[in-house]
Amino acid sequence: MMATALPSILTILPELVLATGALFLILTGAFQGTRSINLVNGAAFAILVVAAIATVFQTSETQTAFNGSFVVDDFARFMKVVTLLGAAATLALAIDEMSRQLQKPFELAILVLLSSLGMLLMISANDLIALYLGLELSSLALYVLAAIDRHNAKASEAGLKYFVLGALSSGMLLYGASLIYGFTGTVSFAGIAAAVKGGSGPGLMFGLVFLLAGLAFKISAVPFHMWTPDVYEGAPTPVTAYFAATNKIAAMALTTRVLIQAFGTDAAEWRQILVFISIASMGLGAFAAIGQRNIKRLMAYSSISHVGYALVGLSAGTQDGVNGVLVYMAIYMAMTVGTFGCIVAMRTKDGSVETIDDLSGLARSQPAFAFVLMVLMFSLAGVPPLAGFWAKWYVFSAAVDAGLVPLAVIGFLTSVVGAYYYLRIVRVMYFDDGPARFVPLSGVLRAVLAVCGIVVILFGLLPSPIVMAAGAAAKSLF
Amino acid sequence: MYSAIVFLPLLGFLIAGGLGRVIGARSCEIVTTAFLMLGMVLSWIAFFQVGYGHQGAELVDLAPWFISGGLRVEWALRIDTLTVVMLVVVNTVSALVHLYSIGYMADDPSRPRFFAYLSLFTFAMLMLVTADNLVQMFFGWEGVGLASYLLIGFWYDRPSANAAAIKAFIVNRIGDFGFALGIFLVFTLFSSIAFNDIFARAPEIAKGSFHFLGFDWPPLTLACLLLFMGAMGKSAQFLLHTWLPDAMEGPTPVSALIHAATMVTAGVFMVARLSPLFEQAPFAQTAVLVIGAITAFFAATIGLVQNDIKRVIAYSTCSQLGYMFVGLGAGAYSIGIFHLFTHAFFKALLFLGAGSVIVAMHHEQDMRKMGGLWKSIPFTGAMMVVGTLALTGFPFTAGFYSKDAIIQAAYVSDREGHVFAFLCTAIAALMTAFYSWRLVFMTFSGPPHWAEAEAHAQDISDAHKPQAGTAFAPAADTSHEHGHGPVHPHESPLVMLVPLAVLALGALAAGFLFKGVFFGDAAEHFWNGSLVFKDEIVKRIEEVPFLVEHTALLMMILGSALAYWFYIVNPSLPGRLAAANPILYRFLLNKWYFDEIYDFLFVRPAKAIGRFLWKEGDGRLIDGFGPDGVSARVIDVARGAVRLQSGYLYHYAFAMLIGVAGFITYFIVMGAR
Amino acid sequence: MTIGLTHYLTVAAILFTLGVFGIFLNRKNIILIMMCVELILLAVNINLVAFSAFRGDILGQVYALLILTVAAAEAAIGLAILVVYYRNRGTIAVEDVNMMRG
Repeated sequence: MMATALPSILTILPELVLATGALFLILTGAFQGTRSINLVNGAAFAILVVAAIATVFQTSETQTAFNGSFVVDDFARFMKVVTLLGAAATLALAIDEMSRQLQKPFELAILVLLSSLGMLLMISANDLIALYLGLELSSLALYVLAAIDRHNAKASEAGLKYFVLGALSSGMLLYGASLIYGFTGTVSFAGIAAAVKGGSGPGLMFGLVFLLAGLAFKISAVPFHMWTPDVYEGAPTPVTAYFAATNKIAAMALTTRVLIQAFGTDAAEWRQILVFISIASMGLGAFAAIGQRNIKRLMAYSSISHVGYALVGLSAGTQDGVNGVLVYMAIYMAMTVGTFGCIVAMRTKDGSVETIDDLSGLARSQPAFAFVLMVLMFSLAGVPPLAGFWAKWYVFSAAVDAGLVPLAVIGFLTSVVGAYYYLRIVRVMYFDDGPARFVPLSGVLRAVLAVCGIVVILFGLLPSPIVMAAGAAAKSLF
Repeated sequence: MYSAIVFLPLLGFLIAGGLGRVIGARSCEIVTTAFLMLGMVLSWIAFFQVGYGHQGAELVDLAPWFISGGLRVEWALRIDTLTVVMLVVVNTVSALVHLYSIGYMADDPSRPRFFAYLSLFTFAMLMLVTADNLVQMFFGWEGVGLASYLLIGFWYDRPSANAAAIKAFIVNRIGDFGFALGIFLVFTLFSSIAFNDIFARAPEIAKGSFHFLGFDWPPLTLACLLLFMGAMGKSAQFLLHTWLPDAMEGPTPVSALIHAATMVTAGVFMVARLSPLFEQAPFAQTAVLVIGAITAFFAATIGLVQNDIKRVIAYSTCSQLGYMFVGLGAGAYSIGIFHLFTHAFFKALLFLGAGSVIVAMHHEQDMRKMGGLWKSIPFTGAMMVVGTLALTGFPFTAGFYSKDAIIQAAYVSDREGHVFAFLCTAIAALMTAFYSWRLVFMTFSGPPHWAEAEAHAQDISDAHKPQAGTAFAPAADTSHEHGHGPVHPHESPLVMLVPLAVLALGALAAGFLFKGVFFGDAAEHFWNGSLVFKDEIVKRIEEVPFLVEHTALLMMILGSALAYWFYIVNPSLPGRLAAANPILYRFLLNKWYFDEIYDFLFVRPAKAIGRFLWKEGDGRLIDGFGPDGVSARVIDVARGAVRLQSGYLYHYAFAMLIGVAGFITYFIVMGAR
Repeated sequence: MTIGLTHYLTVAAILFTLGVFGIFLNRKNIILIMMCVELILLAVNINLVAFSAFRGDILGQVYALLILTVAAAEAAIGLAILVVYYRNRGTIAVEDVNMMRG
């Protein structure tokens, strides 16, 4: 019993690295104060990279730990690597941003580590308790991160909104979890799956709805998305990038695991909810973004619609569909980090700017920068042959194969509407006259933008590394 | 050789149009003119070979064009006598006009474009006359229409030129619509559009009937009427004539080439080419006869009072085209074509002469400001007199043979309405003589009004005012653009006078040189089956009473004498006559109010419909529910979606609750499994 | 009257509903919202404990204890954010939390 309860060190190595690293850095920061900022930041970045590498080199066999609460399979490893890379990249953005500001809170890097740890736990969660603990660990850190710019009213409002709504959503999730526990008598996903097989009563369905509401809040799917634009706008840009690029991926992984592993035999029931959420997210994300002037707010709506597209693949409920979701989230991470890297780089001598009009004329003053942003926008819009197109292609073809043709058609139509506001940014950069002149990009930013741009451009040419890994990951869930 | 005749102008067009900027205007002029000169020489060779050498009709296959179901269309050149006659006319006039234009357009900055258009026109016209089937003919037909449109609107910075070009295009479109329908009907009837098949089976098809719109129609009559509708549009016949006078907005050489000698005769050519069909459709022939007669008369009446030198000649052209149709309708196809042949020379001569006068007057076209030019430009004057003699039918000139023959053919024809046609053409002959000499007298004799041009400027603009309200405002006088400074008439350069001389030669001699072959003793041999030639008409013409035989001559003398009396002996008479009959004068001056009537009947309703469709159909319906509507709805939805995002926490929480409640309700209603 | 599982669940449901309604009906004070969140969590805990006792399964109670722990941390963080917000804006009225919208 003890042998199975205590995990092999290797199984939880990435989490262990993050946890011990975070604790060590807290002590360092507490003793050394702001003087240690560079050490803490650098170490945190290194820890994230090490954790990612450790995840890559974990065995591909499915392993469990902590009495089956914690599972490491290909699916978890894929999502963990994507999440950790996203976290590392956004931390790099944050370090760059911090280097130009007076406020240099060392807590930021530690909070990133802790919330990443929570995300890894979410991804590996194999029962309702681990699900909740992972979710809360990441959420609590994210609440603080949103408000980390303590002297900024907008940031603190963002933090407050996120906190209140997040608490409400975890309350809903817990209420759902309690119902599921009550009606199945177990908290483990495998146990739930066994219980659901015999047919789910209304109580279980209530539970699933509440649980899904909580998860949908985390991935910011309509109608649980309301916090997203405000928080994205108010939070410091690197933190927003972190929200968009990592939190969603972990939450999507958790949603996928719950729906496929715990409720997989009941797919007909939740598919209807998912189809609705997916359509609503795609539609609202596409339409509401049109009038936006603030590019961070626009990216919030954009992320809502992208979640809708990923849910198209999940709605299929098939292995191909999950494969599509994985590919989609990986590409989405690259596009989002790149775009937010560009937003971080929108910095004039007087400080950061974040309206779309500030980009006008960028193509003349900083052609390389404008080109990267243009590529990212085209990719987000789903223009072939860029990565964003292939991401949509995988999820839509999976949906069509599963017989969800109308859903794929609606997805296509909303992506046409969505293309409007992405292309508007390109138009502003290339065809409007303006004084856009940002301070030169730092080396870190250049590196992040270059990597994201290359991934987005080259995915169409060389998709196999990501697609093969995603295929193996999807296989491990079924 | 035949291919060279047809394709040299195309080559010229490509060189001048494509490389005009590279090789310069002078090279364009030389290249296109040289090609046309070569084409002219080859055409005359072909004319004598085919016409006199008694070569049979020859088909030069070029390439298959398209095959669609039973429809098979070939590119081919049909070379027979009718074709070579047209080749001679087209290439000769075109070559001379090219040459003339070098002088006339010397100051124009876009000469390469002009010469490219001229060559394009010539090519299209040659395609038309060498067509072996109706579709190829339609190709040429539309090609000349395009070139005509481009050339009328050549000075595209003049609103009046653009309006005239559009008007010509639209009026022609009405005719072309009929022509196209005619082609469709022919294909329906014959399952072929090649001339050989059609002609061979015409008598057989004529006996059948064609059920259409609940009536049984004689099939060929319907087809011929539709085809004739095309001819009416292209040849500016009564009802569809309104575009021709306005087309004088184009440069004068264009008027000479397109709107006098060649394109407007395409309708005549088409009817002659299809004479085996028309011969089987007596009613259609009567229509040709009557329309031609009305046109001949009515255009002549308008010509009596016009003051713009080019418009007088334009109405004369219109009238003479009516004569040709009378000839065709009377069954004397060869005589109609003969008039086409001679008319090409003297009308081109008159136009080019008028162009020379206009150049001499520094682009003044109002005859009332001319006068006394005889001393300044004697050569042009002489040429104009020669042209006038030929037009009025002075003995032994070209018009004398062809026009008189038509009047006599109308008399002896056995078609219904031939008496009407005879009377119309006879009276028109009188008026022709009157307005032709009026033109010469007003221009060349009398006191030189150009010295006092300034004073008259006001009157002219008054005289033209009634036209300004029409939809396609007819050519405002170009005189307004060109300064009213002191005018010093001068003779045109040699390059313009040589074509005049050549054409004058034709105008004088073409009649008696070719009378014999066109409808004399050698005619049967000459035509060689290329059109329906009826010997008995020629026979009957020789037996007409003395008075009829000399009607035309009589009318010519009478008209000329009247003109002399009105404009030389008693110059104040025209003004007093006009004042005494203001209604008649206004009626004629405003061209029977055709523009106004059409404006009221068609243009304004069409504009109203267009505006309705634009505002309601396009603007409200299509845009409203189409692109604009969709984008407006998108904006609305976007606004609504954004309004949901109120910023209040409790709204956000409420949205979440609504979501959960909605899903639960859904499951309760739909029933959990 | 025997008090059975249904009664516990009903109480929990009423508490949960009160909590949720308190969040969006309350327009006054953010502290009230925090209390409502606690109410929701308590409802969940009642649910879990009731189920646990009814089923004779200890896991529900473990879950409840973990929720209590996390709720304490959550409340601490929430109040900390609220303090930051108050320092910036000088108010904690719900209707004033409205800088960003659209």
